[in-house]
Amino acid sequence: MRVQQPAATGLDLERVDGRAKVLGLAPYAYEHPAENPTYLYPVQSTIARGRITAIDTAAAETMDGVVAVLTHLNAPRLADAADKELAVLQSDEVGFRGQFVAAVVADSPEAAREAAARVRVQYHQEPHHAALRADHEDLYKPEQINAGLETDTQAGDPDAALASAAVVVDRTYTTPAEHNNPMEPHTTVAQWEGDRLLVFDSTQAVHNARKTLAPLFDVEVEQIRVVAPHVGGGFGSKGLPHAHVVLTALAAKVTGGRPVKYALTRQQMFFLAGYRTPTIQRLQLGASPDGRISVLTHDVVEQTSAIKEFAEQTAGISRMMYSADHRRTTHRLASLDVPVPSWMRAPGECPGSFGLEVAMDELAEACGIDPIELRVRNEPAIDPETGKPFASRHLLACLREGARRFGWERRNAQPGTVLVDGWRTGIGVAASTYPARRQPANTARIRFTADGFYEVQIGAVDLGTGAWTALTQIAAEALECGPEQVRLQIGDTDLPVATVAGGSSGTASWGSAIIGAAQMFRKEHGGFPSAGDTSEGDGERNPAGKNYALHSFGAQFAEVQVHADTGEIRVSRMLGVYSAGRIINPRTARSQFLGGMTMGIGMALHEQSVMDERFGMIVNHDFADYHVPSNADIRQLEAFWLEEVDEHAGPLGARGIGEIGIVGAAAAVANAAYNATGIRVRDLPLTADKFLT
Amino acid sequence: MQISMSVNGNEVTRDIEPRVLLVHFIREELGLTGTHWGCDTSNCGTCVVLMDGQPVKSCTVLAAMADGHEIRTVEGLASNGALDPVQQGFMEEHGLQCGFCTPGMMLTARALLDKNPHPDDGEIRQAISGQICRCTGYATIVRSVQWAANHPVGSAATGDAADPSEAEEVTA
Amino acid sequence: MQIPAPFDYVRASDVDNALALLERHGPESRLVAGGHSLLPMMKLRLARPEWLIDINGLAELDFMVREGNVFRIGALTRHTTLLESPEVARLFPIVTDAEQVIADPVVRNRGTIGGSLCQADPAEDLSTVCDVLRAEAVIRGPAGERVVAMDEFHRGPYETAVGQNELMSELRFPIRPRSSSAYEKVERRVGDWAVAAAGAAVSLAADGTIEESSVGLTAVGLDGTVAGIGDLLGGRRPDEDLFAEAGRIAAAACEPVADQRGGIDYKRHLADELTRRVLRRACARASEEQEG
Repeated sequence: MRVQQPAATGLDLERVDGRAKVLGLAPYAYEHPAENPTYLYPVQSTIARGRITAIDTAAAETMDGVVAVLTHLNAPRLADAADKELAVLQSDEVGFRGQFVAAVVADSPEAAREAAARVRVQYHQEPHHAALRADHEDLYKPEQINAGLETDTQAGDPDAALASAAVVVDRTYTTPAEHNNPMEPHTTVAQWEGDRLLVFDSTQAVHNARKTLAPLFDVEVEQIRVVAPHVGGGFGSKGLPHAHVVLTALAAKVTGGRPVKYALTRQQMFFLAGYRTPTIQRLQLGASPDGRISVLTHDVVEQTSAIKEFAEQTAGISRMMYSADHRRTTHRLASLDVPVPSWMRAPGECPGSFGLEVAMDELAEACGIDPIELRVRNEPAIDPETGKPFASRHLLACLREGARRFGWERRNAQPGTVLVDGWRTGIGVAASTYPARRQPANTARIRFTADGFYEVQIGAVDLGTGAWTALTQIAAEALECGPEQVRLQIGDTDLPVATVAGGSSGTASWGSAIIGAAQMFRKEHGGFPSAGDTSEGDGERNPAGKNYALHSFGAQFAEVQVHADTGEIRVSRMLGVYSAGRIINPRTARSQFLGGMTMGIGMALHEQSVMDERFGMIVNHDFADYHVPSNADIRQLEAFWLEEVDEHAGPLGARGIGEIGIVGAAAAVANAAYNATGIRVRDLPLTADKFLT
Repeated sequence: MQISMSVNGNEVTRDIEPRVLLVHFIREELGLTGTHWGCDTSNCGTCVVLMDGQPVKSCTVLAAMADGHEIRTVEGLASNGALDPVQQGFMEEHGLQCGFCTPGMMLTARALLDKNPHPDDGEIRQAISGQICRCTGYATIVRSVQWAANHPVGSAATGDAADPSEAEEVTA
Repeated sequence: MQIPAPFDYVRASDVDNALALLERHGPESRLVAGGHSLLPMMKLRLARPEWLIDINGLAELDFMVREGNVFRIGALTRHTTLLESPEVARLFPIVTDAEQVIADPVVRNRGTIGGSLCQADPAEDLSTVCDVLRAEAVIRGPAGERVVAMDEFHRGPYETAVGQNELMSELRFPIRPRSSSAYEKVERRVGDWAVAAAGAAVSLAADGTIEESSVGLTAVGLDGTVAGIGDLLGGRRPDEDLFAEAGRIAAAACEPVADQRGGIDYKRHLADELTRRVLRRACARASEEQEG
């Protein structure tokens, strides 16, 4: 595999989109000019399960400024209603509280909202289940889990191995539902011109969005254009189109060609834009007295919505992280009358690492071994799951480098022994990993312009991560020109096809296509091209990658203070060291790592979506009650990385950085809190009351 | 009702409904869409603008209440084509990712520096604690504000790249 | 994007005008100052007044002044102004303590002391502060002015003695010699409402014993100050055992409810612990005052 020689990549290049953003000129989905727009406001179900028996729209329809009131009785039919999350207003069924049951389109947002409040809906309510329990009676085994992984895996005889293990840790860990909550509310602006649909959307994948919409509206993908030059964060929730995108496009069918604008309110986002499932994870680790793990089982119970399956791959991390001759992972789903869970930053690895990495800390203590040494003793030579060699596995280097920088040697192995000014202080560690994915099906186009620039086109999306910048650098390096000679165009389905900004796969996938296009361009047009010279290239397949297990690794260190009298907990210091292949831009990369760690601190201390099972209602559905860390909650935070190029990870040698920062972060905090207090909290979030037992 | 106010130094007069919030007035009436909204409950701070020099959450101020006052939005930070040091700082120190919270963050930073030209990190954290950034982890925002503090308007050294000595990479 | 239901808006020119407007527009009219409680409720359609009477321009309500042994704070005084006042910090450090943890700095730029008290949210901090300082509220209405003590002012969650056609114009705080005060809050996240909070005010006698004291609690279901603490502490020398006893009384006196911010036992524990802390700090401050 050729590896591109670093030139423009690796440079600490200022953000390409920075100037537009500091000037307030970067248009997000709502800000694109729309002529004579209409505005949508939905009616949401007030029951968790049942049927609509009557719906009275008369009062709404006669209000000034109302263009249309859509219900399941009069909404245009979708050609494909199989996906019940997306089949909005297609039937009288209600599958969760907060689901769309009607929508008003009006000349102003105020009129739409007023009219929506006047729509009267009557229901036949049926009994519902909205709470996840380990002993839920109808747990089922999904056919596969997210990312197309196997639902269950087994090697050896785990039960026998547990029975004979000298040391056993057998614990259950839980993580709550969490909501992505990007700062930009999910927004769609849709307009039909004849049989062509134009959509400005806050999405992580313009091409995938139109691929999803096309069959619903019975049109070819080419008849739909999705545009998203700037997106205000997503963290997975904008990866797949949700119901509001379909609803807005559906409503735009009845406005006589006028555009329809709809931005979810923050409250609506808690029901309609995906979230991380709560998990109940039983971990069993059996080891010899010196900490060598012979058996590792990870059995997960989690929820999906009854209307659409989403199976988080929570135990996936336990398949490859440590050696163990006997292993088992399982995933069971409770199908509940709840909103549809979906991707949230590092689905699978993020919640799974909480169970696994706290269990590792418990095993270290049970064996009387330093937690880093325990991981050293269980470092696999090859991927335990596939038997393939790791393309690059520098977990131990991350742990050692982190330990050195963080001052691990000052850790007091005896928990609960450091008390300063009323604060119990401790430090903890957790390992981190995330698979390196590279999506095929990416194409880039390069055109030389009359004024001497390289126009580089690919339908990728920058959801804030820095794609504008990183792809500019990659193109410059591949074309052997300066970044200032590159004019990047992304965020539009008129540009060549590209995959999702998700799964930490974007830069590597799109970058491969850009490199392919650049090579093709030089081959076809040489070093001195003429105006208009154009070439296309695809992301080259990575056959060598098939022979290797491709994962990034990291080590998370946290220092935690817990007040002896009140249990108040704060993360006074956090440090991560990562091995993620080549870093394209240190500035955007560092920000991604730090942002992931911060979201991990939020997961550890704050974030929890509270379900009132009586009503199927997420009660803390706003920022007043769903707590994410504010600046004042975050203290010293540092991210470092190993300088490396993963020659098996494709022509860029990069493995992706968007998600690994959150993986293991909550476990590091929990382990530090244990070291501080001697109290082992196995249920997130780590609230103060849990430290006063 | 008719209201008039100064927005980024320009007098504007409009007829509005009393219920129009300042954020919507700025965005919809004036077309200044750099000010965002993100929560409806006065928690997220993406809508922060300066009112008579003080940061306020414009989703919780009626446009009518701003009648007769001076409003400054992100569009009014740069002057005569020159970026405000705060804007420069957010670019130099990568104080933004998705950019959605950025206008509000910068305006609060501007007000802080006007009042306290040399804040310490704790004071910066405190000042912007009513505004959420979900992307960056805040560390670079604090550094961006410090950059601006170290490069006040009129100082020569604006536009320098970040200090090359602070390489944070290590070798395996 | 949520905006309030339609309403009419008028700016009051002075207090008398505000009262006349309240009278004219009747029960569906509301005063608005900082608006940080009312406007979000209106956006979420939890409140739908037909008239808003804006009192932000009433300079006569925006003042802080000492008159003899009374410190008067106008109802329109912003949180930021209170937080940054050296005189307030010297006379009533509890106010400064509390203001540091009320919402966030941007909200504090708009929110007012009068608004906080009249909103009367059970988790609101300044009600406790006014309770323990034994403040009086000045209420103006069509019939003139009346002055009510805090125990009369509070009528329960979101309810006060201020009638629909009345306006709270100021708060009066007695200044006592050899006195000080303190406030402590435990919050889930910086800027959040209290899980629980406590405030204390103490006056010391010349010999260093406690002459007068009061403790109030926030967000744990206790109206007014904790009964019995004044009697317990009166005439005694401040010490840890005494504070511990006061803490136990406070914990027993409150009636918290479990919610996302904490369970009953935890909140009760905080009532105890925070009572000790604020008494400890208030006594330390008062004795410094004495020495200084």
